Order: sequence, then C-alpha cells, then structure tokens
Amino acid sequence: MAEPQSRNQTPIRRHHHGIGTAPPKVDDIKSTLKRIWSYMAHEKKRFKVVLAILVLSSALSLLGPYLLGVAVDQVIAQPNANTLWTMLSLLLGVYAFHSLFLWMQNYWMIDISQNTVFRMRNHLFSHLQRLPILFFQRRQQGELMSRLTNDMENVSRTLNTAIIQFVTSVLTILGTLVIMLWLSPVLTLLTLTIVPVMYFGMKWITKRTGRYFKDQQKHLGDVNGYVEEMFSGQTIISMFSREERVIKDFEEKNEALKHSGYWAQTYSGFIPKLMNMLNNVSFAIIVGAGGWLALNGSISIGVIVTFTTYSRQFTRPLNDLANQYNMILSAVAGAERVFQVIDENEEKQDEKQAQDIKNMRGDIEFRDVQFSYEEEQTLSHINFHAAPGETIALVGPTGAGKTTIISLLSRFYEIDEGSILMDGKEINTITRDSLRSQMGVVLQDSTMFHTTIRENLRYGRLDASDHEVEEVAKAAHAHDFISQLPDGYDTVLDSDGGGVSHGQRQLLSIARAMLADPALLILDEATSSIDTVTEIKINDALAKLMKGRTSFVIAHRLNTIRAADQILVLQHGEIIEKGNHHELQGLGGFYSDLVKAQQAESRASV
Amino acid sequence: MRKVFSYASAYKASAIIAILLMLIELAVELVQPLLMAHIIDEGIMKENYTVVSIWGGVLVGLSLLAFAAGITNSFFAANVSQGVGFDLRRDLFKKVQSFTNENFQSYSTPNLVTRMTNDVIQIQNLVLMLMRIALRAPLFIIFALVMAFTVNVTLAFILVVAVPLLGGFLFWVLIKGVKLFKSVQTRLDGVNTVIRENLAGVRLVKGFNRGEYEEERFHGVNQELMVKNKRALWLMEIAMPVVMLGMNVIILVLLFAGAIQLNIGGAQAGEVVAIINYATRIMFTFSIFSFLIMVFSRGNASANRVTEVLDEKLPEFVTNTEGEQATLLGNITFNNVSFSRDRVEILRDISFQVKAGQMVGILGETGSGKTSLLHLLPRLHEKEKGNILFDRMEINEMDVKSLREQISLVPQEVHLFSGTVRDNIAWGKEKAEEQEIIEAAKQAEIHSFITTLPNGYDTVLGQKGVTFSGGQKQRLSIARALVRKPKVLILDDSTSALDAHTETRLLQTLKEQECTIFMVAQKISSLKAADHILVLHRGEVIAQGDHQQLLRISPYYQEVYQSQQEDVM
Repeated sequence: MAEPQSRNQTPIRRHHHGIGTAPPKVDDIKSTLKRIWSYMAHEKKRFKVVLAILVLSSALSLLGPYLLGVAVDQVIAQPNANTLWTMLSLLLGVYAFHSLFLWMQNYWMIDISQNTVFRMRNHLFSHLQRLPILFFQRRQQGELMSRLTNDMENVSRTLNTAIIQFVTSVLTILGTLVIMLWLSPVLTLLTLTIVPVMYFGMKWITKRTGRYFKDQQKHLGDVNGYVEEMFSGQTIISMFSREERVIKDFEEKNEALKHSGYWAQTYSGFIPKLMNMLNNVSFAIIVGAGGWLALNGSISIGVIVTFTTYSRQFTRPLNDLANQYNMILSAVAGAERVFQVIDENEEKQDEKQAQDIKNMRGDIEFRDVQFSYEEEQTLSHINFHAAPGETIALVGPTGAGKTTIISLLSRFYEIDEGSILMDGKEINTITRDSLRSQMGVVLQDSTMFHTTIRENLRYGRLDASDHEVEEVAKAAHAHDFISQLPDGYDTVLDSDGGGVSHGQRQLLSIARAMLADPALLILDEATSSIDTVTEIKINDALAKLMKGRTSFVIAHRLNTIRAADQILVLQHGEIIEKGNHHELQGLGGFYSDLVKAQQAESRASV
Repeated sequence: MRKVFSYASAYKASAIIAILLMLIELAVELVQPLLMAHIIDEGIMKENYTVVSIWGGVLVGLSLLAFAAGITNSFFAANVSQGVGFDLRRDLFKKVQSFTNENFQSYSTPNLVTRMTNDVIQIQNLVLMLMRIALRAPLFIIFALVMAFTVNVTLAFILVVAVPLLGGFLFWVLIKGVKLFKSVQTRLDGVNTVIRENLAGVRLVKGFNRGEYEEERFHGVNQELMVKNKRALWLMEIAMPVVMLGMNVIILVLLFAGAIQLNIGGAQAGEVVAIINYATRIMFTFSIFSFLIMVFSRGNASANRVTEVLDEKLPEFVTNTEGEQATLLGNITFNNVSFSRDRVEILRDISFQVKAGQMVGILGETGSGKTSLLHLLPRLHEKEKGNILFDRMEINEMDVKSLREQISLVPQEVHLFSGTVRDNIAWGKEKAEEQEIIEAAKQAEIHSFITTLPNGYDTVLGQKGVTFSGGQKQRLSIARALVRKPKVLILDDSTSALDAHTETRLLQTLKEQECTIFMVAQKISSLKAADHILVLHRGEVIAQGDHQQLLRISPYYQEVYQSQQEDVM
C-alpha cells in the first residue's frame, strides 16, 4: 500500500513479457494510422465514393462564395433584374447540392467509421480469447476494459469526423489558393505570410498535446482499473471500514488523470486561438492592403469582399486541419493501447501436424512431466497413468501443485519437459479446441454470467433443450431451489454472485458440467461449499456422471477421495504417494496420517 | 444537468474569467465587419488612405488582444472542465463507497465503471465547450443580429425572422439527440458487462472451450452499440447540411432585398455588404452548433446518468452519524429478528444469545440464510423486525463505522486486492505493524507458506489473487480479519478449501482469541468445538444448543452427523 502507483505495474512488467515491453513500432503515429486503416480497408470502395463526394462538396463550397462575390458586385454596381435572377437561382442550386453532398458524405463516413470501430473492438476481444491464462493473471480487469471502451471511444470519435474534415481542409486550402491567386496574386502572397507562423505554432502545440494525450489515456485506464477492482470488492471495503483509505488512493489516480487532462486540454485549446488570431491578422492585411490597392484602382471593391471571404475559407480549413491533427493524436494515443494488447503473443498456435481428437476414451498418461512457473519449479517428475473411466483424486497441502496438474490437462500452460499422452497421443499433436471440447470443468469459484439460470446452465452445451437443462438441474439437486425462486429458471443471475447463495452456485456449476457430458471431467474443490446433506445427494449424481469418464478430482473430504481408483498425493510439486485408498492406508505415510486426522476428529465429535 | 452546473459553480472564479476572456474575443470578432464596412465606405469609396491604414492597424491590434485573451482562456477553461471532471469522479467514487448491497443491485459494477469514466468524460467535454465556444455561439448570433440592426433595419429584420427558425430546428435535434445518446451509453454498459464477465471467468471460458461463443456474445453487444452509435451520429449529421442550406437561402433573400433597397435608396452598398457578411458569419457559427449539439446531447445524457448515481438513496444508517460509538465486549443477543430482500423473507424470528468470547457454529443447507444472518451483524444488511443487541445496546443506535471496526468478516468468497501479501493483510488494520501482520499470518496458518515465496510478504498478487490456490486465499483472508484483533469474528464457511490438518490447527488458534466467533461450516467436526450451534432451515432456527444437546434433540443434526460418520468409514 505504500506505493499505490507502482503496485499494479512494475512487478507485472518485470516478470512478464507483456504490455510494458510491447514492440516499439506501435509508438510511431504513422504505423498506428496504417493499422487503423487496415480495419477500414474492408470498405475501400465505399470510402472511395465518399472521397469523390468530398471533392464535389469541396468544389461547391468554393464556388458558393465566388458566385456570391460576383452577385454582390452585380447588385451593387449595376442592378439588373435579369442577371440577378439568374445569379440567385444558380446560387440556390449550388447551395442545395452542397448541402446534399455534405449530408451524403457524413452519413456514409459515419457508417464506415463505426463499422471500422466495430471490427477493431471485435478483433481485440477475439484476440483476448486467444491469449494465455497467464496474461490475465497479470492484468487488472478494469484496465483491460478501459482499452476496449474508453480507448476505442477515442478512435471512434476521431474517425467519425477527422478524415472528412482532414480531406475537405486540404482540398479547400488548395482550391482557395488557386482562386485567390487568380483573383489577385499580390493579396494572396500577403495572406500567405501567416503560414510559417502557423506551422511553427502548430508544431510547438502538438508536440505537447501528443504526449499529454497518451498520459491521459494511461491514467484513464488506471482509474478504470482501480474503480472496477474496488467496486467489485465493495463488501470487504465497507466491512473493514477502509473507505477513507480507498478514497485517498483513488484521489491520487484521479489527480494524475486531472493533471494530464488539464494540460492536454489547455494546449489543444491554443490551436483555435492561434488560428483565430492569424485569421484576423490576414483579414486586416487584406482590408488594409486591399483598400490601398483599390485606391490605386488595381482591384475592385468586389474583389476585396470576395477575398476576405476566401481568406476566411483559407484560414478556417487550416484551423480545422490543426484541430483534426490534434484529434488524430488523441485517437492514436487510444489506438496504440489497443494495438499493444493485439500485439501480445497469442496462446501458442496448434502445431502444424496437430489433429482433432474425437470421442476421446480418456486414457491419460503423464511421463516425467516438469513444469515451472515464473522461474519457480512447480511440478517435477510427475508420472501417472489414468485408464479410461478411472477417477483420479489429487490430494496434498495447499500449493502442492494440484490445480497446476489440472491446468496442464487443458493445456493452459506448456510443459517444460516430459510428455502428456491423451489416448496415446502426445498432447501437442492434438488441437487445443478439440481437446478442450472433450472436457468439463467445475471450478471452486463457480463463475456465473449475468443472464438467466437456464442460459447459465446451457453454457455447458449450447444446443441443449430446455428439457435437458431441467433434467441436469434435477440430477444436480438444483431443481428444487430453482423452482422456489420467483422466476424459476428465468431468474437472472448477477455476475458478482447476487441472487443465489454461493453453495447454490456450486450446484449450478455442477449441473452445467453435467450438461456438457464431457469425456474428461475436472472437479476442482467443486463441493466445498455445499452442505453435507446436499453433498451426499450430489455425490450420488456425480457418481453417475463420473461413471465411464476419466475424472480428476481435487477435494479435501475423504468421502470424495476414498472412492477414487487412484489417489495421487502431492507435496512441493512431486507425487509422494500413489495408489488406491487401501494401498495408501497401508503405506503409513502422508495419506494415512490425513485419514487418521479426519477419523480422530470425527471420533472426538461423538 | 443542474447538478453538474452546481459542480461548475465550485470553479466560479475561473469560469467567470474564462467567459469574460471569451467575450473579449467575441467583441473583437463582432467589430471586425463594422470596421470593414467603415474602411470600405469611408476609406476606399472616399479615397481616404489614412482611414484605411489607421483602421487596418486597429484591426491588427485588436486581433492580438483577442489572441492573448484566447490563450489565457484555455488555462481557465481547462481548469474548470478538468476540475468538474475530477470532482465528479471523486464524489461518484465516494458515493459508491457508501453503497450497500441493495444499492449495488440497481447498478452493476461495469455500469458504475462506465459512468465514472466515459460519462464523466462526456460531461467534461460539455463543460469545456461551455467555457470556450458554446456561449460564444449564441451570443455571437445575438450580437450579430443587433449589429445588423444598427447597419440597416429593413435587411436586419429578415435575419431576425429567419435565425430563430433555424435555432428551433437545432433545438429539436438536440432533444432527440439526448435520448439517442442515452441509449448509446447504455449499450456501452452492455459492452463493458460482457468484457468484464469474460475477463472474470476466463478460466471457465477456456475450460469449456467457449471462446467462439464468447466472441459471438461480444459481437452481439458490440453490434448493438454500433447501431445505436450510428443512429445518434446520423441524426447529428442532419443538422449541419440543413442549417447551411437554410442560412444560404437567407443570404440569397438578403441579396435580393438588398438589390431592391439599393434601387429605392433604402440602403447603401457598404451596408448590404456588411449585412451579408454578418449573415455569412452567423452561418459559420451555426455550423459550430452542429458540433456543439453533439457534445451537448452526449453531455446531457451522461449528466443524467451521473446524477442518478449521485442521487441514489442511501439507507439512513449509512448517512446517520449520531450513533453511539461503543466499545464492544462481545455479548450478542438476537430477539425475533427477521430479514427480507425484494419482499422475499430470508430470515424469520431468529432468537439466540451469545456471551463474549463464545464460539457460535451455524449449520444449514445451501440457501438457508446463513450468510444473510451473518451480514446482519456488521449491518451489511438491515434487519426488518426484532432486536439485535450488542452488550444490551440496540444495533440501530450504534455508529456503523465504529461497529464495523470491531467486527471482522471472512466472506465465503475470497476477494483479495492487487498489491503485496503484506498490503492485503494490512487491509484489516490501517497502520498495522510488521509484527502484527506476521502474527496474524501465523495465526491464520499462512506464514510458513508466505516465507517460501520468493519475495515473501512483498509478493504481488494479481487481481483477485489468482495465482494463489483456494485454500491459500482463504487463509490470507483470515489473516486479514485477525490483524485488527476484532471483538467479533465472522467466518462464513471460510475454511472449506482447507485440508483437515490445517483446519484443525486454525480452529484451535481461533478459539484462543479473545473474541466472539461466528462460524458457518459444513463439517460437524469443525462445529463440535462451538459453544453454541444454530441449525438453520429455510430462514428459521430449527434447533440450537451445543453439540451433545443437538445430537439428542435435532433429527436434522443427527442426519448430518451420521452422513459425515460414514464419511470416515
């Protein structure tokens, strides 16, 4: 708690080749923009149409004031009813088409940009699904969430308008220049004197905004992460009266966000002011110099009027350009954080020769398996063989490596040495997807999703019918309490566990695994929070479920362990005893001590 | 929305300075066409070069003044908007800190997270716009209209009629926009919810190989967000072309009217030029509006969402500070206590008595109300009827904070925080000494494990302590509860993942503590040491007494006992 700032990050980066050390190439603006473009390129054709319309609307936006200038000259100089009407209807046509094109380009651009954002979000999410478990154990949920929402929002906001405005600006500037030169080269040159000032001013500003935008997104991610974590542990906070301390810690992160936000906003606020000033100066130059030229008789008053409009048309897009560049910087700051995650190495791809495994029999063998985790030996010399249909119980003190063995079965991690055989095949010759689809898990933390009980159960097998869902709920003794809920199977659960008790959720998670009907069943302290009366019923159901399937069970209760075909006793990552209940009893080692302890307890309770 | 303005009022000085500076800029901009008309009419038309150069110089001088004002405005405006954002986040966070379980039922965590980040950003943008251009735009239009009147009343009249029509149209877009953007923010909640669930259940998702299913699920909410976003943005994009066309038509009308006025001598050439110039400027100002409307609609929608949280009703006992700060001895009495949630009765007529230092065991089926009963003690839940007495003092008359400081809860589901092992234990006691932390860890049977870690007490836990096993997390959570030396310790089935050896030792240590212990357990072997055992069934205490008594009087207890006897062969 002493260093709340470094707490979430430093140690993570130290161990894991992760976000902090992502490839440096994402740091430059150009490649980031190119990558954003790669998502947009799906709609290249439509984008080209938008660009074409853009050219038209820009041309009309130039034509409009030019014709207006001519019209003003005519009205003032020699009022002529006929030409006036022609001019007015011509102008009306120009204006109408201008608005129409404006609308079309914006409408399509929003379509394209929102599709682009949609694709990027989807890609990021899909990529997250392929990252190894280790990645998630090292990240704060809320910080990752921020990348999918807040950072993506930044990209979205920019894409909607920036591209159109950027292109329009460039086109308008070019067009205006041409007309201005044609009208009066001298006045044009005078107007252009402001451009160098503009360039250096912009450079000075964007150098600062770019940096602060990045900071801002990072701090926003930190705030998001902290808030998410604290809100999900709210009971603990109020229970331990830690509100003040938590608020204080939050204040620090909030302050950091405010600081970077303040400077990002201040500096980007300079841009329109600078442009406005230069705009006014150019206005004065045109009126001053133009007036003098008009006195000389070298230009008409109409030209001055037109020119002031054009000079506005000239500086306005420059202003926009500057603003757009600024927005692009802010989008890049968001996109970089998105790409950092996308650049994370995926869970290793399946080996080329890897094949699907179907109808697995459940014959599993570990041959001298070694595994280390963060440079720390977690498992060494693990050898065992599980015949199809056998139940393997894993016993041992907490931290002995039981959960690790189970993770290796699903290939959440890669082993360092030795081999794991499934139905006689090396585990790395089997595709992960097919392997995992043969497994069903019941975990200790019984995660549920924010949806109905029915849908939560269906997570085990997506195409299960309502009837099948209810059947497994009955088998798992969950049906009774579900029917007592006001909405029955349609009761919506809370992802944070509201709605039903912890034990009830365990029942649900068992039902869910039953529905999956897997070849290989994994029970990780699945029944720890179920009262013993219910547990007896559940065991009955589980026994049925486990029949004919290879099952791995982590449990502390003897009744669960005793029935296993094989019991592996683990300590410090090694198997110290192996055999069935009777064999291990006879050994007089760790296991028989364990049994004695439990028996002694029960006897004492008589 | 009003609430948000009240936040801005904390930065009144900065806001006023920012707006004044903005008005200076505005004034300069307004004077410009006037000067221009003057230069044309008095200078160029009358061939007076001095007028041109003097007023040209004045123009440049004014521009520099406006520039200085604008730059200074940036600092003050950023100060206000970032300040409001900071304060909103702080107050939202504080507010949520006093949320009870009931409050959390109306807002899920991802929903609150969106409100605290994304919605506050929208409000910040809104405030910034108000400081910088929002006021400027309508003011500019009004001033331009007034100016137009001073130039030529007849022509200006055309503007006065037309401009409000366009303004009305923009207002309509705004009203519709607020609704649409509200639904955009709601969809964002949806996206956030799926992401969060996916991240929290990553082991399950991988275990069931549901990656593709999850992608589909995300695809769904992502698409909804996209659709709503498009709809809102499309509406916004109608504004600009329509207003542009409207304004352009007005200019044409002015031109036509100007021509007539020139003919009949009602206007001078310079006046027509100036009025058309004002109209062009009003048009450009309107085009800023299309952007403003977007910021405004979004900001407004977000302000409503934020205000909702800030105005969320808290139960009275949370806000009440008049409760008495008593030091607990640990005697606890329940008299006919009932508790309901969502009108469903969870606990009914619970009565029992515990003396200080006793251990109370609680046994009951899944869903029988054990956790709810325990949560009544630190007032995480509010009882509905009956009395809960701590050393004869009614729980309602006590200060919640001081009450909770003397109670430790070890919840069924362990929740650890990012940080080191030491930090997590020290959660129980703000300024715990190293010695106290180690002692608590030893008592919780976790010390020896911690010392085997490469960084010992400085080992960093990931969010929710994923790298620890279930049993280790439970023991860490117990250490956290012990470090504050509570007068009442609540163990909500907190030893379920421990092996029998460890559990026995742990319970022994706990009994030696000077505190009243409430313990939910499934194993009779854990419960038998309790001085008093409550057997809960469907929210009622169906039997109570010590182990021996219950074996005689409670058939349910006997049944459980028998089932666990078989367990040991």
